[in-house]
Amino acid sequence: MGFRNRQPRAQWHARALTLAIGTALVAASFVAQAQTGPIRIGVLAPITGPLATPGAEMVDGLRLYWEQVGNQVAGRKVELVVADTTCNPDQALTQARRLALQEKVHFLLGPLCGHEGPAVAQVSKETGVPLVMDCAGADTVTKWDRTPTVVRTAVSASQIGHPFGDYLYNTVKARNVTFIASDYTWGHEVAGGAMKTYTDAGGKIAKVIWNPLGTKDYGATIAAIPADTDVVVPVLAGVDRLRMYEAWFNFGMNKKFKLHAGYWLHQDVLPQLDDRAIGLTSNAVHYAAGIDTPENRAFTDAFAKKHKRLPSWFAESAYTAGLWTRTAIDSIKGKVEDRDAFLKAMRTVQVKGPRGALKLDAYDNPIQNVYITEVRKIKHPVLGDVLVNVPIKTYENVSQFWTYKPEEFLKRGPYKR
Amino acid sequence: MTGAVLQAINGISFAALLFLVASGFTLSFGLMRVVNMAHGAYYLIGGYVGLSVVRATGNFWLAIAAGGIAVVLLGFLVDRFLLRHAGDNHLAQTLLTVGLAFVVGDVALHIWGGDSLKLQVPMFLRGATELPGDIVYPTYRLALVLFGVIVAIVLWLVYRKTQLGAVIRAGVDDREMVAATGINVDRLFVLVSALASFLAGMSGVVGGAFLTLHPGAEWEILVYALVVVIVGGLGSLEGAMIGALIVGLLDAFGRWLLPEFSYFVLFAPMAVLLLVRPRGLFGEAH
Amino acid sequence: MSRQQWIGIGVLALAALAVPQFAGSYWTGLITQILIFGLLALAVDLMLGHAGLMSVCHAAFFSVAAYTTAILQVRHGVPAIVAAPAGLFAGTLLGVIFAMAVRTRGVYFILITLALGYVVWGVEYRWSSFTGGDNGVTNVPRPVLIGLKLDTAEHFYYFVLVVLAIVLAAYRVLVASPFGLTLRGIKASESRMTSLGFATARHLFVAFVISAFLASLAGVLYVYYNRFVNPVSASFPISVEAVLMAIMGGSGTILGPFIGSGVFLGLRNWVSSFIEFHAAVIGIVFIATVLWAPEGVMGFARRVLARRRSGASTR
Repeated sequence: MGFRNRQPRAQWHARALTLAIGTALVAASFVAQAQTGPIRIGVLAPITGPLATPGAEMVDGLRLYWEQVGNQVAGRKVELVVADTTCNPDQALTQARRLALQEKVHFLLGPLCGHEGPAVAQVSKETGVPLVMDCAGADTVTKWDRTPTVVRTAVSASQIGHPFGDYLYNTVKARNVTFIASDYTWGHEVAGGAMKTYTDAGGKIAKVIWNPLGTKDYGATIAAIPADTDVVVPVLAGVDRLRMYEAWFNFGMNKKFKLHAGYWLHQDVLPQLDDRAIGLTSNAVHYAAGIDTPENRAFTDAFAKKHKRLPSWFAESAYTAGLWTRTAIDSIKGKVEDRDAFLKAMRTVQVKGPRGALKLDAYDNPIQNVYITEVRKIKHPVLGDVLVNVPIKTYENVSQFWTYKPEEFLKRGPYKR
Repeated sequence: MTGAVLQAINGISFAALLFLVASGFTLSFGLMRVVNMAHGAYYLIGGYVGLSVVRATGNFWLAIAAGGIAVVLLGFLVDRFLLRHAGDNHLAQTLLTVGLAFVVGDVALHIWGGDSLKLQVPMFLRGATELPGDIVYPTYRLALVLFGVIVAIVLWLVYRKTQLGAVIRAGVDDREMVAATGINVDRLFVLVSALASFLAGMSGVVGGAFLTLHPGAEWEILVYALVVVIVGGLGSLEGAMIGALIVGLLDAFGRWLLPEFSYFVLFAPMAVLLLVRPRGLFGEAH
Repeated sequence: MSRQQWIGIGVLALAALAVPQFAGSYWTGLITQILIFGLLALAVDLMLGHAGLMSVCHAAFFSVAAYTTAILQVRHGVPAIVAAPAGLFAGTLLGVIFAMAVRTRGVYFILITLALGYVVWGVEYRWSSFTGGDNGVTNVPRPVLIGLKLDTAEHFYYFVLVVLAIVLAAYRVLVASPFGLTLRGIKASESRMTSLGFATARHLFVAFVISAFLASLAGVLYVYYNRFVNPVSASFPISVEAVLMAIMGGSGTILGPFIGSGVFLGLRNWVSSFIEFHAAVIGIVFIATVLWAPEGVMGFARRVLARRRSGASTR
């Protein structure tokens, strides 16, 4: 290694100097523009990997909202910086740090996968960059492990489980239930919430079958359902949903057992199903494309026109997160640089999204309706004959603590398998 | 008791699919000594092409042929332009084909999207069949067992009873000697490689109809296929048959009886077997 | 070592020490990650570059060490001073068991290590009552070292740097020793080494265990860096990427695996910020490396240097 050649070195110095001056100029102009420049929103979504489809839904929903309002708020332009988390906490952490520290976003929005939630919240804590938690539903984020800079606009997992347990016992009149649930936090907490309210009411559990995400063969699962079960309850995510559906009918289980799903056939999977799905209780969730309100009709029509499909709750959550953050930014006259003011605004404004009226509780989780839905076939003005989830029962203004006292709930600890 | 019978049938029907996937892999290793980590990606692409054909024509049989042929073309290009450069270097082959699998998987994701998709099978294969002993079982999966057995018999006959089979077997044992007898080894390689690719693509179509096709399915199936050929012995057709049965049954019963240790039940016996018989049950020393 | 090499090491050390001064938290964090995965690649390369065996199960040691440390600290409140060595021990112990794989060679070695790696991944993934399944173990506290809490990116970076300096010095001694020579002898021709009276099996066994130890060390550093661990850490892509890093940087060298790790992780972070096809890009990198740069960055640099030197002497 010798430095024999002097000429290029001098050139290098000159180049470095220009670069440094350039950087300084850019930095200076950045500081000057800080108040009037664009508002940058860091979006964390799985663009690739096992949950790529919900990830795309999320980004589509968010983009649709901002396009509808001309990509601006309080006189400032809005830029979305999308990063791919691949549904891997490791990658979510790295990307969140990049958005916060390198891309200098004003706040983060996302992630989608439940187990990425705590990882991204950790980055918000480290850097002070506010996080508007979208689809990721880990209970702990708005319960045992709260971060002052994190607010949630979608849902916490057990929030939709609790009303479903009540529905199972009091409406379905189930007494001996077998749960088939995805073996990861989301599944544990949705199924756990449902089992809690159902058994509190007096119901019995025949069996709980935990399957890892991506279980390829539901034949084995179905063979394990106890014969004295009166109702089977799937609480499933990802590819497993379709496999369960196929196995259910192909093994003739529809003739043996009743089925009411706690969390199963969302809008994104319905186009793949056939008429056998009609009449199934598909979900207990905070949004269904079949909600009959002017807000929702406007949203679903716009979404259908643009994407030739109906939105799932992932798209709606992101859309509403757009509405919510824009309302908050508007109320502080666009000064997102003031992080405390932004977070305070997020905590005080109330919005009416496609899924209904929303506001945060004292623990930064939305109070909202939960809908028990059923699959029906409708004639859509844009899409023609489509399967759609339609609410058959609405639990209004459900808190993440259901009817329990928050202090008691917190003392009891998280739902585990 | 019914549970055990049902799990056994589950295991056997999965074994039928595993045999289809693994036979291609083992053939191409046996003759060409190629470790093709992109075999799972071949399966996935074959399945997706079949899916598009079913959607366009509604013909499942055409889809099986199309899936197979599409992969034959892909496999030919890969052999010509990639694997040729790796020669007999297994390390290079492994890395090349892993890289190829990443590329193929990503391209497939952009064409067919991230949803898990299901191939529609012909009407008469849908629904359930009632078996004796009050067991209801999906018709399609019973048909799959039959299909797997037929393919196995045909392959075995070709392999054991025809002149072509004799040449291939001789090539597995000693390539140089076959070349010395004046047989065009290059053409033989192309032929066997095409057969292996066809099997992979076709199994993607039949497998996609009950396992669904989705990004990541390529690795899922590859790992199972690898276990099958490792247990059975690399390069052995009989090994692939027995291996598929063992793996299919271990998998079904493992996930039923010891769900938390199902991978352990599957992989640990294989690791032990490898230590006792490094070449697998039917593998011959090379 | 020549004077030039000492100068090189000095420059490198100074540059490494100065990183946090001008890089900022994000880049310091990324470089820490590069160093940790570089160590994993180095572990793999002890087998690959010196003994000629390609292991695709090293993520298992990495991950088991990380899990052991994490579970002990988070669930049982064991202090880092005990939990970290326990993690190293667990990973290395697994290495002793898996070292049975060295009874096979070539493609069989690749396949058996692949299978062994999958056992570990499968158990971590499926045995969720103990491992936490897909969620893994979160909120692992950063260790406190002689009263100094390593909770900023900068402090932790220096900690990793110190550990690496010690390990690399030892690694250099190891590969330059008769033991290292024997390994390379086995790579060149095992039958010759056997006929010369070397216990090749025992050498490979020991090499495998040492390399598992190094991978475990990377795993413990990783769990402190990331502060959580999940089954992805044991998965096949992690193992095979470590192999690729070693080859990209230059197999059989000390610096190579770290360069490879830098190129690979840098590329992945950079590409993922603007290209949707990044899995394909990574795949193309795999292919391109094997086809056109099988000797990696170090091999390329050496060739260029050699050409320059011969050019200079003829001038």
